[in-house]
Amino acid sequence: MPYRAAVVGVGITEATSPRKQTSSTPELCRLATERAIEHAGISPDTIDAIVTGNIDGFEGTVLDGKNITRALGIGDTVPLVVINTGGTTGGNLMQVAARMVRAGTHRRVLCLGGPTFFGSVDLQSAINTNSPMIIEQPLGMGAYHMGAFAASAYQARFGLTPEDLAAVVVADHEKASRNPYAHLRYTVTPEEVLAGRPLASPLTQPMVCPVSTAAIAMVVGDAADADAHSTSPALIKAIGMSADPYLGGGKGDFSEMQNLANLARRVYARADVRDPLDDFDAVEVFAPYAHMQPMQLEALGFAAPGGGVDLIRSGVTDIGGKLPVNMSGGPKCTNGGVSGELAPYAYAALQVMGDAPPDIQVPGARRTLAHGTGGSFFQFENLAVFETLTRSN
Amino acid sequence: MTSDITTPATQPVHWDLHYDIHLGETWSRFMDGLREQRILANECGSCARVFVPPQAYCESCFEPVTAWRELPSEGVLEVFTVAWHGFRGGPTPPYAIGGIRLDGASTLLMHWVVGAEFSETGDVRAALPFGTRVRAVWSQERTGQILDIAHFEPVD
Repeated sequence: MPYRAAVVGVGITEATSPRKQTSSTPELCRLATERAIEHAGISPDTIDAIVTGNIDGFEGTVLDGKNITRALGIGDTVPLVVINTGGTTGGNLMQVAARMVRAGTHRRVLCLGGPTFFGSVDLQSAINTNSPMIIEQPLGMGAYHMGAFAASAYQARFGLTPEDLAAVVVADHEKASRNPYAHLRYTVTPEEVLAGRPLASPLTQPMVCPVSTAAIAMVVGDAADADAHSTSPALIKAIGMSADPYLGGGKGDFSEMQNLANLARRVYARADVRDPLDDFDAVEVFAPYAHMQPMQLEALGFAAPGGGVDLIRSGVTDIGGKLPVNMSGGPKCTNGGVSGELAPYAYAALQVMGDAPPDIQVPGARRTLAHGTGGSFFQFENLAVFETLTRSN
Repeated sequence: MTSDITTPATQPVHWDLHYDIHLGETWSRFMDGLREQRILANECGSCARVFVPPQAYCESCFEPVTAWRELPSEGVLEVFTVAWHGFRGGPTPPYAIGGIRLDGASTLLMHWVVGAEFSETGDVRAALPFGTRVRAVWSQERTGQILDIAHFEPVD
């Protein structure tokens, strides 16, 4: 049978703000790698490739490729692949690693996502350099300005209130408070969210992700090697990526996430997912801004158009609900750039491995969904379906 | 990670790189049009969608886009955000950035929208409803760039 890929180990560092971070990027990456290798119960010299990534303009050098991998101490002849797809770099790391294992060219691949926002003095200024040059970059948009287009359009179409946006933020913080690796681990009230400083209408500062420093590493291996690990691996059942036009103006309608809906149909078909709400036990979406989670839940088929907020308010997406969403607290509470984008994959895999931090583990989770998005006006989307590995013997 | 350091030690690094981006045939023609106060679009011969800014290929039909047409400088403001907080080197906030569907266009053109009074605590879409008709206001000095359109403003 064809090679199947599985996540066999995950390593996450505790997150904090750049202001409080005493470790360097290579130190954080090394810690995450050590934890992933230890979790997998493997010897470092059995890693036969590394996939890492960075985002142009967000750090002073191409650190990941040139520097970090040599500092990991897992061999000097290990092939290195560097991914650079803007904000989706992190999610794409595991997608590429899974394809390498499935192709049979590699048996055990390390995915490494570093803290790519680390050190940028004004992150929105750096992100503006990534907005479409010539046509849209001169207009003065950072990440949350681009994100606010969807928030505003969704609000206008479905009557989403500021209180609705605040409810999403309150739920995310509540979840993050139980995750020992999260950055913003304090809870907030709706009043605090609404009283936040306006950034780009309708988003206030508490509705927008922090700049976090953390690293995440994952070991992706051949599922047939399952007995060689100490973990119960997460089978990578289906993966996929999709792209929208480069210019924001090419999107046409900001009030729904059509590109993600199209991708979900493709990936669900590969994983034989027919009723998403019934078929998934937990979901981790890349939702750094408050409006994104409800919109994504709709595009992913968990709620009707405009129904995402009701799903969140009903408690369905809380722990103990029918569909726990972003038990990690999501990127709204921890966003370390490439590591932030790899995080949904790491947490969704940990859920089916049964190894998520105890307070956020969904009991008995057997199938989970991970999502990433990024690029200009969130032009790229990626998805992965994880399942508890059923051993063939 | 065990560490005795409690205060992060950092050193500043500065990056300031300049590039000349080659516009190519399609965007050169678009920029030449702006200099003459004309908004040039192109139309896919297969799906009949009209692109502004123009694009060399239609990504839906895999066809080169070769039919050119001029669009009016008026259209509908379909979406916008008010930037209350900007960034180093960017415009001074507040400023409104919107997606404008010029009459006859299939795509949105992003630009600044001027002429409405916004307040941080008020409803910005009440001050400037989606669907407002807007028109391009041209810069006095035009050099073949997107800011040859100074901004859009509501049509009286």
